[in-house]
Amino acid sequence: MSDLVIETSGLRKEFRTRKGGMRVAVQNLDLAVPAGGGVHGFLGPNGSGKTTTIRMLLGLARPTRGTMRLFGEPVPEKLPQVIGRVGAVVESPKFSPNFSGALNLRLLADAIGAPRTRVEEAIATVQLDGRESDRYKSYSLGMKQRLAIAATLLKDPHLLILDEPTNGLDPAGIREIRETIRGLGEAGVTVLLSSHILAEVQQVCTSATIIGNGKLLASGRVEDLLGSTTAHRVVVPDSARAAEVLGRAELAATVEGDGVRVETEDAARVTQVLGEAGIWLTELTPLRPDLETFFLALTDAERLGGDK
Amino acid sequence: MNGFGRLVLVELSRLVHRRAALVLVAACLIVPTIIGVVLVLDTRPPSAAAVAEAERMVEQDRQNPQLEKDVASCIAEPQNWGVDPSVEDADEIEEYCRVSMEPQLDWYLYDSQLEIASERDSGSGIAITLLLSMAMMLLGTTFTGHDWASGSVSNQLLFEPRRTRVWCAKALVVGGVAALLAGVVLTTYWLAIGAVASARDRLGDGVLLDCLQMGWRAAAVAGVAALLGFALTMLFRSTVATLGILFGIALAGGIVLGILGFEGRWNPAYNVAAVVSDGVEYYAEVDCSPQQAEEMGEEMGYGYCSEERTLTFAQGAGYLGTAVLATGLGSLLWFRRRDVP
Repeated sequence: MSDLVIETSGLRKEFRTRKGGMRVAVQNLDLAVPAGGGVHGFLGPNGSGKTTTIRMLLGLARPTRGTMRLFGEPVPEKLPQVIGRVGAVVESPKFSPNFSGALNLRLLADAIGAPRTRVEEAIATVQLDGRESDRYKSYSLGMKQRLAIAATLLKDPHLLILDEPTNGLDPAGIREIRETIRGLGEAGVTVLLSSHILAEVQQVCTSATIIGNGKLLASGRVEDLLGSTTAHRVVVPDSARAAEVLGRAELAATVEGDGVRVETEDAARVTQVLGEAGIWLTELTPLRPDLETFFLALTDAERLGGDK
Repeated sequence: MNGFGRLVLVELSRLVHRRAALVLVAACLIVPTIIGVVLVLDTRPPSAAAVAEAERMVEQDRQNPQLEKDVASCIAEPQNWGVDPSVEDADEIEEYCRVSMEPQLDWYLYDSQLEIASERDSGSGIAITLLLSMAMMLLGTTFTGHDWASGSVSNQLLFEPRRTRVWCAKALVVGGVAALLAGVVLTTYWLAIGAVASARDRLGDGVLLDCLQMGWRAAAVAGVAALLGFALTMLFRSTVATLGILFGIALAGGIVLGILGFEGRWNPAYNVAAVVSDGVEYYAEVDCSPQQAEEMGEEMGYGYCSEERTLTFAQGAGYLGTAVLATGLGSLLWFRRRDVP
């Protein structure tokens, strides 16, 4: 068995426009999501091809070119054999508005022969109990989102594909879903998480793929993508003097706000230099590039490249 | 139970939980019931009071002096009263005049008899068949149109990605339920009407069986109508688009077929009638000489004659079957191929 749960190679999707032209949504995308649990972020600006890629993986859209595999099996050919191990929420939740939440789930559970008890468990997991008999159209956006996540749990999935799962949720709901996702990842479920909320992705993802204009921009472990700490911020009573002392010790330092930014990975050297000068630190913080900065740098470069 | 069986049950459950479907089913039960009740009431035998009142009015009119004057006028100048000029016998003329002028009891009873055969051929049987077929076509359309409108088709495919299976399960449920419902309604209708006719001693030999068979054929047509509505909606992915197209076909289809030269044999209405009525007579325009036209009593005289032809059940069934099969195949192949939003 392959050690990748998702694998695409040279994936391409073209759409015909109404004026007879052609729009390329995904171009030569090589995506690799490792098996063994964990959360893999799938990032990209609006219109970058994330949802199209997910829809192709799930058999909802046909690729123009390229190959795709789920659990090592070629899809869409072998999709019926693997779909039972894949839970997915694609874009906004889509259920019959006049049916209750429970009936919507029951119909899906019956289609795959899942026991009815699993419907109750899924409803309880997403904390919709008490509202499961209400019509779906009476649900708030957050409740609809939670019902969609409940639907993915009907299958007992090994792979969860979540496309913007926290859309419309309040902060508490976002945290609950984040914890659920993290818990699933730790329990051995591999989660492909497509999201615009980069801080959220950074909190739960162990690896990530970033795409722009339908092309792969970067992929790998989040730590590797962001690189190591390259600077520190220190807060001292006299920032100007501290910057001068650090400069004399050949450490590039600039005053930034109420602190000093020092361009070095070596925190011990910073404390030593300042201590020898009789300057006592009140704060020392490593400055790591965050995912948002990395993402924006990549996608801006891609956009500028694309504009040329 | 295998996967397809499960899917069929799921689709059945989806159908019975849909309000629009329940409204249509209710209409299919209520309207034929009303039609049947009205028919039975309209054709019920006159009451003793009505007969007595009619006898009183007959007697009153017979005493009217004008009657004798009219009879005398008829005997004197029978040609003015519609008597065949070849009749010369005086007794015969008098009898004709009296029979045609003297008030009869049934002139005052205003009742009609229950003619079950005529109900089958041109009365309520045809009306109910039309109603059921249209309602079932709507059922097929709205059943899947709702799924497309809500976007839940994609969700269903995340649980069963084999699109042929999904299409077939939905088609089986919608066609089967439509045919079964129409069959039950029509069988009940004819059994009830037959029971009333029998109680009134107006049920001829074998007529009820004919009516039942007509009902079963009509039920099959209703099932086909539902399938057609379903297949078109799976193709266009919208109830409104399907209804618009069907409305357009109903409005202009015959004209377009006529312009293209496909008349008579190819008229969908004749073919439906051929299936429901186990064959139907229709008139076709055929080329003929002006002399032949004159011999046939045609007034057109432009080298066209109308000729009575028979469209058999098999021809009608073949036509409808081919139309539904072609639409269904197109719908299925399109559904398999296209991206699902």
